[in-house]
Amino acid sequence: MTSVNAAFGELAAERRIASAPLSHVSIELGHLYMEDFEAGPERLREQFGRVAPWAAAVRSGWQRRIPGGRARVSTCFLIDDYFSRFSTPAELVPMVLEAAAEHDLSIDYLARESSCAEADGVELARLVEGRLVDDPPPGTTGSRPPVKETGWLCNGSRSPRPGSVQAMGPAQRWAPPVQNAKRGHSIFVDVELWDENGGRRTWSCPFLAAVWQLLRLGMLRTEGELPLRPVPAGASWPARWDDLPPIVQLNDQAAPFSAYTTLSVLSPRFLPVELAVRTVLSQVAVDAEVLEQVRRRSDGEGVALEDEIVDRVTYVFG
Amino acid sequence: MLVMGEVHTALLQNSGEIQEPVCRQVLGLMAGETVRVSRRPIAHALSPDLLTGVDCRLPSASQARVRAVGTVVSRCAITGGRVAQGSSYVRVERAAVDRRLSWSHYLSRPGVAEVLGKAKAGDLAAGFLDGAPPDCLDLGAISGRFLDLAQSSPLLDRRAPFRIPRTRLRWVTEVGEPSIRFTLHSDQVRTVRIAHPEPFTPALAALCEDLALHDWLLTTLLVLVERAGIGSAPGAQAAAKLAPAVDHLLHLWMPGAHVGESLAPYWESLDRRPGFTRQWRTLEDRVRDQVALNTLTLLSITAQTGRRCQ
Repeated sequence: MTSVNAAFGELAAERRIASAPLSHVSIELGHLYMEDFEAGPERLREQFGRVAPWAAAVRSGWQRRIPGGRARVSTCFLIDDYFSRFSTPAELVPMVLEAAAEHDLSIDYLARESSCAEADGVELARLVEGRLVDDPPPGTTGSRPPVKETGWLCNGSRSPRPGSVQAMGPAQRWAPPVQNAKRGHSIFVDVELWDENGGRRTWSCPFLAAVWQLLRLGMLRTEGELPLRPVPAGASWPARWDDLPPIVQLNDQAAPFSAYTTLSVLSPRFLPVELAVRTVLSQVAVDAEVLEQVRRRSDGEGVALEDEIVDRVTYVFG
Repeated sequence: MLVMGEVHTALLQNSGEIQEPVCRQVLGLMAGETVRVSRRPIAHALSPDLLTGVDCRLPSASQARVRAVGTVVSRCAITGGRVAQGSSYVRVERAAVDRRLSWSHYLSRPGVAEVLGKAKAGDLAAGFLDGAPPDCLDLGAISGRFLDLAQSSPLLDRRAPFRIPRTRLRWVTEVGEPSIRFTLHSDQVRTVRIAHPEPFTPALAALCEDLALHDWLLTTLLVLVERAGIGSAPGAQAAAKLAPAVDHLLHLWMPGAHVGESLAPYWESLDRRPGFTRQWRTLEDRVRDQVALNTLTLLSITAQTGRRCQ
């Protein structure tokens, strides 16, 4: 008898990673905080007025880049329901859509900021926190666990604590913090990721914004599955934010929510926040299989992507 | 250039073997990531891969100052619900530029450490296998911490049936004509040097973890047989000391169970010389013979006592 090739598989022993549908670019048309809402619909119109020409430029840029001009561009809008609760979806959403329409902008997806912390029983912020791999200062051999300040993340070595005394030695003098990948001089950044009050954790705005970027880039998975999928909008808007799905799809013809790259059009007042977001994103280890999936997809359609996730995130400040 | 790794292997700190649901909890080291479990031909659970950032010298036999920056991949495994392992490895590659880049660059290549400047693979391999000096990359400490992570789980009762030291197996793989060299250094340290014609895949790390597991089993069984004092201690006493081997170890010998088909010849060549399985079978027979002899003795005593009572 000739030899027989036997194959045996066990599903629980294999890693199965779902792939995300991907647009070429996800454009964030705005991010609404309570202060913007309180400033009235005029503030929203101004925002959309500023964004519209940039969104059009990016769309036509991608259309030129993709053969046949078939660029997949999706737009999204984020509402803060995490740091403060204001208004209701029934009152706010139509106002936002109307203000966007005045500038010929169509919002494909509407998301709630609190979904970046937790949605549908999945704690997205915890998933990302678990994937942080700290930027190691020179001399990090792995012999000791990484030095951490609980709830903080930096891009270098912090100053020694004032007054700390080394064993058998004098008190340490002040020394400056140092950026690990400095070129000549340091730009040291230390980001607060969360704080806790009475056992309740509040994630910081830059950390949730980093989760939001990873979600838009289709980089997150939980147990191998996509953690959130957009839900088509219902016939009417609910009266409570908690009754609104984490990501609502407003346009049934829309290109996929997540994309190879993201663009956010922001006021310059968000520059410090985005520096913090990039500091966080630079230290998130995305699953190697997910990175590979996206690379294969983009190679397959001839789109060259930046190797580093943080370089796929772009901005217009104005 | 080359891949270097270190595996620490120990008896799980629990009185009995643990079942699959407990294994999943002990090894669930990352939120949202699944513990991979296979049940055939032996229960084997593997934690998700975690990364550790390093920026330091690499060990070098010629004492050259070689700096590398990148991430080390680590994971824990539990086999047969009984043996725990902490394993780490890093692929060492030449950097395109000789300065440190932003951290996101290194995270886009998980499990790779880039060498800034010149280095020779053979020099690094020899330096690593000899044991790294203190200011160099310390894969042993990283693997040790991952093993501690599993061992310190609150789900374990910390009442192991016997005490036995951890073993440490350092390994290096390079591209070349197929060869494998296994060296025993001290009671606890072993090294493996593998040449493989194809580029590195994680299956080679799995092969080294499997070698480490079986080397630990063999080492442990040898120690238990030695402790039993067969021939010098009374038969019943020797048999009692061998009981943990029967209860916890003898069923775990399953060389190559989780090693890919293409790598099986490496195991087979080690099994021809020095012949791990041959030594295991001999020890296993000795243990079973002692237990059987003791049973016979007990039976004959019972029979004699029975006759006297009639």
